[in-house]
Amino acid sequence: MKSREQEYKEIFIAEALEYFDALNRHISDLERKPQDDHVLAEIFRLLHNLKANAKAIGYLQISEVSHKLETAFSLIRNKELSFSDEVVTVLFDGIDMLGELISNVDNPGMGEPDPVLLRNLDIIVDNLSDSTIELAKVQKYNTSRKLSLSDLIYIQIKKLDHLLNLVGELMIDRDRILSISRELNNDELMSVSSHLYRITEELQYSVMDARLVTVGSLFNKFPRIVRDIAVAEKKEVNLELIGQDIQIDRNILQIITDSLLHLVRNAITHGIEKPEERLKAGKPREGRLALTARNDRENVVIKLIDDGKGIDLKQVRKAAVDRRMVPADVVENLPQAELLSYLFEPGFSLAKEVTEFSGRGVGLDVVKNAIDSIGGRINIESEKGKGTTFILRLPTSIAVKGALLFEVDDIYYAIPLIHTESVVSMDVSELHEVGEVLLADVKGETIAVVYLNELLNSAPDTMRLGDVTRLKGQVQNIIIVSYNNRKLGLIVDKLYRQQDIVVKSLKKPLDNIDIYGGVTLLGTGKVCLVLDVPAITRYFINRR
Amino acid sequence: MAQAKKGANPQTEAEVNNTEQASAPADNRESSPKNTRPEEMVHLVVFKLGTESYGIKIEQVKEVTVTPTITRMPRTPHFIKGVANIRGDIIAIMNLEERFGIRPAPVPENEPVRTTYTLVIEAKDYSIGVVVQEVPQSLNIAMSKIDKAPSFLQDVSINENYIEGIAKVNNQLIVVLDMFKILTHDEIKQLVS
Repeated sequence: MKSREQEYKEIFIAEALEYFDALNRHISDLERKPQDDHVLAEIFRLLHNLKANAKAIGYLQISEVSHKLETAFSLIRNKELSFSDEVVTVLFDGIDMLGELISNVDNPGMGEPDPVLLRNLDIIVDNLSDSTIELAKVQKYNTSRKLSLSDLIYIQIKKLDHLLNLVGELMIDRDRILSISRELNNDELMSVSSHLYRITEELQYSVMDARLVTVGSLFNKFPRIVRDIAVAEKKEVNLELIGQDIQIDRNILQIITDSLLHLVRNAITHGIEKPEERLKAGKPREGRLALTARNDRENVVIKLIDDGKGIDLKQVRKAAVDRRMVPADVVENLPQAELLSYLFEPGFSLAKEVTEFSGRGVGLDVVKNAIDSIGGRINIESEKGKGTTFILRLPTSIAVKGALLFEVDDIYYAIPLIHTESVVSMDVSELHEVGEVLLADVKGETIAVVYLNELLNSAPDTMRLGDVTRLKGQVQNIIIVSYNNRKLGLIVDKLYRQQDIVVKSLKKPLDNIDIYGGVTLLGTGKVCLVLDVPAITRYFINRR
Repeated sequence: MAQAKKGANPQTEAEVNNTEQASAPADNRESSPKNTRPEEMVHLVVFKLGTESYGIKIEQVKEVTVTPTITRMPRTPHFIKGVANIRGDIIAIMNLEERFGIRPAPVPENEPVRTTYTLVIEAKDYSIGVVVQEVPQSLNIAMSKIDKAPSFLQDVSINENYIEGIAKVNNQLIVVLDMFKILTHDEIKQLVS
């Protein structure tokens, strides 16, 4: 794989060449209509961007020539320099030289830009309308000009979506062919299908790779946003960005954009204190906000860390009781993680006042729904007085997910691994009927357990989630899933393997049956239903 | 699947084809009264629900196939039998008898397990399967044979919006359904239990 630096360089060159083409077009226009301010402004903008980009990546010659040209055009714009024939020639030469420099950026034999031309540029800039000094003849650059097309293309994300869908279909058929070839036990077919397997896999990764963008493309929008919110809130905030180079699927980044913006607003308006308060609390005057990204196995973990006042658990308890989400006597004993998960409930807000940036009723539940929709997870850690951290765990790619396969009542199901915590086997005697639910002790933690067959297949009026006698067999396989800091054990009939699956979304009229995240086809051609852990958890809570 | 014959024969008012996979020769003809100008024809796929005949316009039917393996989907309405893999597409399979509360035709005792058929109905952006008991027939009839608004419609359990009309052919009564209306109706959108 190419180094990141190489990739940046290629992007720069492609962009610069595009600028170069646009400059040529505009300056030809300008020659015909010297009075067109609009064209002039566009040339000015292009040169300015080119200068800045070249400087940032270290191509100083390009940046220097662009600078000189920019100066010349600014004089023309201010009517201090006339767009006369002589000047036009020099400017055309200058732009040609830019093109030359850009296309030969990696060519060490290129040497310095022609000093005569540089001097000509200086002359028209320095002498203004006083053109007594002769402009020297420049050797023509474009005598042997060759046309070249850019190495980069822009592509609509829609087309990549389509491509990825097709690859998903192909993978399903591939698995089917592979499984048939094993059944038939034909050597030739087996060798062809294993080759097909490798090619499809490579195709899958190539398409996924083509969709990756750096997290930085979103992160880099935040310094300005943070500054604006901080100014409006009269706060001082220093934003730190870490891990901008981490790559993630473009659509996933798109979906979390609003969520991240929302969390950042919250952190500044509700998290970070005003400078005076911070000094009183013995903290530095300037609040610290950090956006970090890192890879964790198949996932990308994005954290938003602030060192503000943290979340007041007392207020959360009170709000939870006020909204009757939990009885007053229970709330005192809830673990912190579970308590904080109430912040994601719809309509749950601790904001006392609506400000320009926060507290407009769009709550954390919206953020949570967005993260859920791409199969991600979100958690909060907070310490009063010290600050709050939001942790977003996101899949790198939408289409292919690691999943755990199992069977309930002769139907195949899958649960994405991002929601599974562990798998345990337990004797029926270790499951306790408490109230209307089953409880089990899993590694020292008491977890509600539910028999999926009962939850999915029994008639609503005869459903008995807390009845051990409904279980089949002595030893139970339990998948521990976690959603919103709450763990839930799902008892399944048969446990199969872990496998990468291509999730197909359900089409109408089944698309809004939310306990299913989609379906997939197994190698055997059988349909496998993909359970949506957030919805199953909610369904369980509502049933209870 | 038998394709609709373009430019219908004015002498034939009804033409019933056997439509199991391939088109079979017409097995039922009826002479029409003298009719000089060609009439507008409509091609129906006719099937049984309960003991009665129902028809769907052939444009709404993508294909007819022997019902594939259906994977039951818990917590969906009773008339959704589940999902099935039809040529790589996973589509919902619906039972219209259960949907409209039609009593299934009595099954003779000692009958072996019957093959059922699935009509794949194609709506704008998705497909759905409809299970029927017998081999569906293809029928070409004159548009004028369809009575658009029979007065008894208010009395039947099928919402009148779904019924395009009633056709009478060879003393046979065919209820012509508009599948698109059935599929787009709000009721089916609110499947969530």
